[in-house]
Order: sequence, then C-alpha cells, then structure tokens
Amino acid sequence: MKITRRDFIRSSAGAGLGLAAMSGSGKARAARLNKKVIVLGIDGLDPFLLQKFMAQGLMPNFAKLNSQGGDFRLMQTTIPAQSPVAWASFSTSCNPGKTGIFDFIHREPKHFNLYLSSSQTIAPKTGKIKIGDWMLSTKSAQIKNLVGAEPFWNELTKAKIPATIFRVPSNFPAFAGAARQFSGMGTPDLLGTYGTFSYYTDYPPENSKEITGGEVYPTFVKNHVAENFIFGPDNSFRLNPDKPYEIVGGEKNYNYEKLSIPFKVYIDPANPVAKIVIQGQEIFLKEGEWSDWVELEFELLPHLKHLPGMVKFYLKQVKPDFKLYVSPVNINPADPALPIFSPEAYGREMVSNLGRFYTQGISEDTKARSYGIINDLEYWTQSQMVTADWFRAYRWHLDNFHTGFLFFYFSTLDLGQHMFWRYIDPGNPLHLDALRQGMTQPLEKLYQEMDAAMGMAMAKLDEDTTLLVISDHGFAGFNRGFNLNSWLLDNGYLFLIDPARRAQTDYFDNVDWGRTRAYGLGINGLYLNLQGREGTGIVPPEQADQLLKELKTKLEALVDPKTREHPIKNAYLSREVFKGKFVGTLSPDIVVGYRRGFRGSWETTLGKFPKDWLVDNTDPWSGDHCIDPSEVPATLVSNKKIKKSDPGIWDIGPSVLQELGVRVPEGLDGKPIF
Amino acid sequence: MLGGAKVKIRKELYERVKKYAELAGYSSVDEFVEYALEKELSKLEGSDSEDEVKKKLKGLGYIS
Repeated sequence: MKITRRDFIRSSAGAGLGLAAMSGSGKARAARLNKKVIVLGIDGLDPFLLQKFMAQGLMPNFAKLNSQGGDFRLMQTTIPAQSPVAWASFSTSCNPGKTGIFDFIHREPKHFNLYLSSSQTIAPKTGKIKIGDWMLSTKSAQIKNLVGAEPFWNELTKAKIPATIFRVPSNFPAFAGAARQFSGMGTPDLLGTYGTFSYYTDYPPENSKEITGGEVYPTFVKNHVAENFIFGPDNSFRLNPDKPYEIVGGEKNYNYEKLSIPFKVYIDPANPVAKIVIQGQEIFLKEGEWSDWVELEFELLPHLKHLPGMVKFYLKQVKPDFKLYVSPVNINPADPALPIFSPEAYGREMVSNLGRFYTQGISEDTKARSYGIINDLEYWTQSQMVTADWFRAYRWHLDNFHTGFLFFYFSTLDLGQHMFWRYIDPGNPLHLDALRQGMTQPLEKLYQEMDAAMGMAMAKLDEDTTLLVISDHGFAGFNRGFNLNSWLLDNGYLFLIDPARRAQTDYFDNVDWGRTRAYGLGINGLYLNLQGREGTGIVPPEQADQLLKELKTKLEALVDPKTREHPIKNAYLSREVFKGKFVGTLSPDIVVGYRRGFRGSWETTLGKFPKDWLVDNTDPWSGDHCIDPSEVPATLVSNKKIKKSDPGIWDIGPSVLQELGVRVPEGLDGKPIF
Repeated sequence: MLGGAKVKIRKELYERVKKYAELAGYSSVDEFVEYALEKELSKLEGSDSEDEVKKKLKGLGYIS
C-alpha cells in the first residue's frame, strides 16, 4: 500500500491524540488504515425485549456476539426519545440544544408557522413568470437540512476515510460533505408530504373524510372497467384554468393545477384478476396481489418537462366491491426529482445493482393501517416489501465494504412495534381485537429479522472491524393519550376566542393569543407565549421562570383517574437539560416526559382541544416511544467491551472516530465509549 | 426609497395606504407597501404554504 505524506501526517496526528493504546509502530499504523467500523442502526430496538427474546433463544446471533467477548448495554437517548431528535444527536454527537431538533414539529415563533423540524423548503423570491395559465419558474426551490451541527462522519472524509450513511433519519437533504449518503426519515414523497396513499373504491369507508396521510377516490366499475387518475403535486407551472384564484378573507389565493395521470382497470368478468393500464404499461394483478414498482411521469410542461415518480398497486378486492390501493408516489431513485442521494453517483450505483427501492422517508404505510384501508396482514406484507429492499441493499453494502465506515439503518422494527404492540400489551384497548387479526407473534418475527441482519454483519467481522448495533430508543405501549392543550385551556393558561367552538378548533385557529400564556405543540413540546420571542407573546421574560416551575409542578402531579398513575414522569425545563444556541429560541420551554403507557394525544399535537384531558388510544398505532427517555432507553451492542459507564447515543460518533484513528473535534457532547 | 424602483398606484389608493400605514405603526408608506407585497408574494411563491404544511405533517404516522 502506498502511504502518502498526508496519510502519514494524519496517522501520526491520530497517534498523538489519545490513541496511545495503539502502538505507534509502522505495523500498527498500517493496521489502523485497514480498520473498519460498521454501525447497524436499528430504529426502536428495545433492550428489554431484546434481552427477553435472547433468553428465549430467538436471537442466536446477538447471544453469540455477547458470549464471545462482546457487550450489551442500555444506552441513554435524547429528551424526548423521538427518532429525529435522537438520530440528529447521533449524527452530530451533540445534544438537541446544538442540533436544533427537539420534536417532529417545530414552530417559527414570530408568525407561528409550523414545519417538520428536520427540513424546510425555501422557494425562490424571484424568478416566476406568468404567461396565460402557465406560471413559469426560472429558479428551483431550495430544500434545507435544518440540523444545526456538522455530522461526525465529515471528520472521516476530511481524513480521506470513506464513509457511507444509509438512511439515517434527519438527513434530508443530505449533510454537505464527501460521505456517500442516502436520505432517510424526513424524505418526502413526490407530493412533498410524508406519505399520501390513494384508495380507489366503489365502497368508500365511512371515515373517508377523517383520513390523514391518504385520499379516498370514489371509483365505479362500468362494463368491467374502472378508471381514475393518480394525482401528483400541484403543477407550479400552470394555474388551474377553471379557478385560477379564489378570494379568501379579502385576499387572492392562487390555485395551481394538480398533476395527474389517467389509468384504467380492466376487470376479468369471470376471475378475480384485473389489468391496470397506465401510461402505456400493463400490470396484471390477482386479487390480493401487489405490483412491483410502476414508473410514472407527470407532465409539467408539454413535451418539455416531466416529473418522474413510481408507485406500487395493491389489488385488494375486485368483487363484490372494487378496492385498489396505490402507494404514495415515491421519488424514483433512478431519476430522483429531489436530492435524496449525495453524491448522485451513489444513487446511480445502487440502482444499477439493486433496481428500484423505496425512497420515502417512512416507507411503511402505517396511515393506511391506522384508518383501516389495509388490515394487519396487508400491512405486514407491505412492510416486509420495505424490509426486503433494505436487506437487498444491506447485502450489497456489506459485500462492497472494505475500508472506513458504514452506517446502515433499518426502519421496519420501529414501525412494526408502533403497529403491533397491541399484540403483547394486555393494557392496550385493542389487545383482544389484535388477537383476532390472524397474525402470530409479529414482534418476535421482526426481532428475528434483526438478528439475521446482525448475523450478516458478524460474518464480515475480522480483527480490524468494530461492530456496533444501536437503537435510538426502546419501546412502550401507547394506551392513553394526554390532551396537553385541553389541560392548559382548562387550567387558565390558554384561552379560546370563542369557547363555544372548542370542539371545532384545529391548528390553534381559535386561540386567543392575547390572553394565552402557554401552548403545547408537537408530541412533547410545551412553549410559553413569551414576549419578545413569540409574535403574540404576553409573558414577560422576568415571569417565565416562575410560570415554568408552576407548570412543571402541576403537570408532574397530574393523576389519570382511570389508571391512578401519574402520566407525566418528568416535565423537563429546557434550560436545565439542553445546552446550545437553540435553547430558549427554538426549543420548547418544557419537554413533557410521559410515563410508559402514555403519550401526547393525537389531537393535541397540532392544536385541537378535546373535552377530556386523558383518553384511550384506539388507533392500531399502539406502541410508542415519544416519552420520557428514562422509560425507553436505547440499545448498545458491540463486539468489543465498552468502558464508558453511562454511554449515550451522542457518544457513538466520537467512538467511531477513535476506532478509525481520527481526532475527535472539540465542542462535542459525546465521548468515546472504548 | 433609495435605490428602489418606482411603482404607480392610484392617488386614492395611495391616500388609503398612507392612512393605514400610519395607523398600523409603519414608519413609512414604502415600508407598508413592501410588507404587503412581500406577504402577497410569499403566498404565490409559497415556500411551504400553510395547507401544504398541514398536509405534509399529517402524513407522518406520529401525527393525526
């Protein structure tokens, strides 16, 4: 191997910085250059279930690693134990006060604009031309990754050590730098949403209008043919010719034409099969069968500009009722409309070796299951297609991994526990219903899949390879939901303009900000309506501390009349638990740390005010982790003994750097675990 | 306004703008007009219009 001067300086520098345990001899330096680190990121891998299943003999590879000199520890995770928050902390080795990611949902305090915390679209201020119905855009919108600190793997690539980051959450678009990256959770579908399925049926479900994360399109079969459209995003090039604008509150709101592609379904009169014809493609499906990826092209400008995407069809039923599910329109990895790969060549290489694969951030269609569009078995099948994509990619990455750092992420265990926790939790309102769904031991199967992934990584181990298996949090039941905003309202911290419209209030649209002192937003956030920060702020900064202490005391004292438990284990004051430039500006003022079994309710997260403070959760989404981190610690497994007594998810980055002989930068919150 | 472009508007509209700019506490008519135009443009350019954001967020399994 030819070692350049730069390599030599790098390895010498590493030897002088806390790497004394590695010999400074030429042989050791050469060995260091061959070092490899694999971090397997398994979202939601719960240490207690892992331990239980290991004891039952279901996890032979985890057990083997543990018995052959490895280590298995509980790992601290972030406040709150939410995936975007925790994985941002993993990526940057910093606490949320420095990453600026505190919840799935944030607000811009001056104007109370809500957005997903990890990325934001910034449209061009100039560059639009209106010609007739056409609105021509000469500049593209910019999408910004909002994580406020640099990822640790940039230290590797600066030292010319290759790094591949497969699907880590809070990484859309990918961090700047030379690592190969494929964006994960936070990556939208082609509509710009975090997943919008389509359901075509002549028997629309009663809850059609309540459905979020999907659309129901009444579709009737005539002479054995059903036809409709697959809808894309608004066409920013073309105003809706029927209604180019509307006046709302005295203001003119422009309407863009929705992109659409027509399709026809020809149903066999005798057999439960159908042929779907779309853009010249013919797809034959039996009832109960899923299609492979079907590539689509939405036409933005005739013959000039197209928007590529892809969907999967699921022919749920042809008779007596017609039921066709179509997946969210995924960004086509072969021709990505948004920056999901960095560099683009990494995406091309994957596609040429793996074919098409899911690209949407959360690919498992939990919404379709939550609203009963698909049942447990159908959700299982769909999520297993996602897992199959990840395993195919995982095999390819392992086979081609020879040096440096590989991070590989699995999502399906996390989403599976969200949807199937009711199978193992007798306290869940849907537990008995779950036992009638025809599934057996879904969680055990999902854990066993992760054991197989562990086995594949172990097969790559040699004396130069460090393997870490980590999760971002454990798991718990979500049996009771807390309506934080209702509690604030009923306790005089929040006021409505028209109390009679309480039940209709959504997105805080009826809140009397001139009298409101505190509000809840997102799953765990509680904010003061602070003077000088919130555009409508009324709480003087000098009264903030006293008010926060009062809220903390009352929230922690709350008792659920049904279970006699305290739903809130800790109401964390942000200034006491976070450090960094985002504390007090972007951060919530209190992070509500729920006890196991509880979570922020579905209704409270985006500003609804149901009558009761605590309600049963009757959604199939029955497991959760967005609670107090001490209730759902993460998992840390290693093929080496861990020295640090209280490892946290922020320690992984510095550990990887140390293992690969790269100096750990100043200012990180994490420390090496070895 | 220094370095800015001039735009013609009806005198009657100008008087109304002037009146409400003062009432609303804007330091000048220019400031009020710029604010109003920016607000209108932001809707047209719609980085993430409110409805889009709502739809986006609700696609997330964690939110209903």
